[in-house]
Amino acid sequence: MEQILRILYNNSSFFTFAVLQLLCLYLIVNFNSPQNAIAAETASIFTGSIESATVKAEGYLNLDEENEIQRREIADLRSRLPESGYSTTVGIDSIEDQAYAQRFIHLTANVVNRSPYSPNNTLVIDRGTSQGVAIGQGVIGSKGLIGIVALPTENFSRVISVLHRSARISAGLRNNAYGTLQWDGQDPRRMKMTDIAEYLTIAKGDTVFTTGFSNVFPTGQVIGTVESSEVQPGTGSQNLIIELINDPLHTNNAFVIRDLFKDELAKLKPLK
Amino acid sequence: MGGVDPVSNIVRFLVILFLQVFIFRQVSLGWGGADYMFIFLGPLFIALIPLRTPRPLTVIFAFLFGISVDFFHETLGVHAAAATFCGYARQFALAILEPHDGYKVKASPDGKDLSLSWWLSYLAYLVAGYTIFYFSMEAFSPVFWKQITLKSLLTAPASLLLCVIMIAFLRPRI
Repeated sequence: MEQILRILYNNSSFFTFAVLQLLCLYLIVNFNSPQNAIAAETASIFTGSIESATVKAEGYLNLDEENEIQRREIADLRSRLPESGYSTTVGIDSIEDQAYAQRFIHLTANVVNRSPYSPNNTLVIDRGTSQGVAIGQGVIGSKGLIGIVALPTENFSRVISVLHRSARISAGLRNNAYGTLQWDGQDPRRMKMTDIAEYLTIAKGDTVFTTGFSNVFPTGQVIGTVESSEVQPGTGSQNLIIELINDPLHTNNAFVIRDLFKDELAKLKPLK
Repeated sequence: MGGVDPVSNIVRFLVILFLQVFIFRQVSLGWGGADYMFIFLGPLFIALIPLRTPRPLTVIFAFLFGISVDFFHETLGVHAAAATFCGYARQFALAILEPHDGYKVKASPDGKDLSLSWWLSYLAYLVAGYTIFYFSMEAFSPVFWKQITLKSLLTAPASLLLCVIMIAFLRPRI
């Protein structure tokens, strides 16, 4: 205590100076506007940096809670992603036929399952009876054919691929020749077209279309091109090897085609 | 007025205060809308506080003079801060300039004992300290160091000149 007093006494002028100087600073800051502004600015810089450091530290303290909130948010967002839900959105496109009356309705679909590659390929699309899919509707890709609906359930459908040995598709050419398209189970890039009249001249590279005769596919869908022709001796017909325009086994985006006139056409069964 | 007794000191206080706030307050030179040269007599009063005054009292007297100037200059605290600093720094100036045989303890710095060159150096120290501190407090931020330097360089010689002239009239005599 005595030493403290002695220090105070020995430096009394300094302490007087310090106290008065602090008083002066107080007066300067409080009664002079420019200095006041500078002091306020400086103070805000200091307190601002301290405050941001505090906020940063508090942010670290809250990290666990923040993590939990973020994870819940991520879970919520994931449950909203398209692949986590069954999409009931029905995108509809349509082709107008030449009479300009609506006939075919296109329903977007995705291939969600495929059978292992075999001579009898099938696949599953994510559209079913609740979207109006029915047995016998055609399935096409953005180009070329994919298959025919064989077994629709409420939300999914089993589709017989065109590369299935029991699939039969009516196909034709520009010169009105027509025949039946089928697959022999050999090469997934090629199909065979049978029952073309022998006398017709078929050039290599001719385009093959759907005829629409079977009310499965719209008329004029490109299937592929003629690769070669082979006359069948004694039958009066020739077979064509068709090179497909698409790869039916590896297409994901598909359209289910609904023929609005199918029932009407079904009444016109061949007379016995 | 030239003596070391309390009455002389009070008279000196009032006279220098009067000169500062009513005459030399009007004196300021500058250009471009800003004043750069002023006359400060605060150092003169502080220099003439009697030598035997206790140091804390010196600081307090200096503060009182500064705050009195501030009341008239509407710069409350700025002159007081500079004067307080100057009063505190006086002891160091005296220590630096102490003659070989010491000061006469009963006198204020005495014109008869001390040469004009001693007075010049003594006042120069105080004026420099007062001026630099004053302009630092006035600017209140180191970013204005150019103005602080310029104003100090212009004000200090002018103030020193005035203070030295005033010494001729106010020099205390025993």
